[in-house]
Amino acid sequence: MELKNNLKEVRQQKGLTQEELGTNVGVSRQTIISIERYRYKPSLELAMKIARKLEINTEKLFYFE
Amino acid sequence: MILSKKETSILIEIIFSILFLFIFLPFFYANQNTSFTIGDLSKKIIEIIIFAVAYFSITYTFLEVYFKKNIVEDERNDMINSKSYKLGYLLYELSLFVFIGLLINSSIDYNGGVIFFVILLTLVVSLIKSMYQFYLHRTI
Repeated sequence: MELKNNLKEVRQQKGLTQEELGTNVGVSRQTIISIERYRYKPSLELAMKIARKLEINTEKLFYFE
Repeated sequence: MILSKKETSILIEIIFSILFLFIFLPFFYANQNTSFTIGDLSKKIIEIIIFAVAYFSITYTFLEVYFKKNIVEDERNDMINSKSYKLGYLLYELSLFVFIGLLINSSIDYNGGVIFFVILLTLVVSLIKSMYQFYLHRTI
């Protein structure tokens, strides 16, 4: 089971850039890129902050496959 | 290859270590069989301090002018730092054992040799740590 996410799709639907999302949740653009490419698994706190910013449930944004 | 400000600052540290190796290490290598006094070393220490201050002032000024934005320290950076510093710490421990082994074996008789090995080990470990940090920033 691998942790995946819909971050890129949801972020684009909301019309946010990686830079804007990163600034809003207090991380760098590189961190958002790494999460979108499944290279970095965010902490629960960061995952919830991102989900809240994108107005989506954390379980819908991050899921196991 | 596009580099972030953080990656560029790590590269600056790597280049500094390499320059230091090439500029100052030959002096200590050539004087391995010399017993230095504090007075002998003071001129070299001042040279090293001036070189380090000048190098970092110039390169970091360039970095600030070129990138403008501040480096955002977040949990990914913390994770990368902890991994690379852990490797650095393990290498320092290992090199300490090598160094103690050399002292016990009487391979180093003069304080010139001690200074040379300490600087060499510190630089090599720091170089490996920074390169690993750079690698993690590019791959994670």
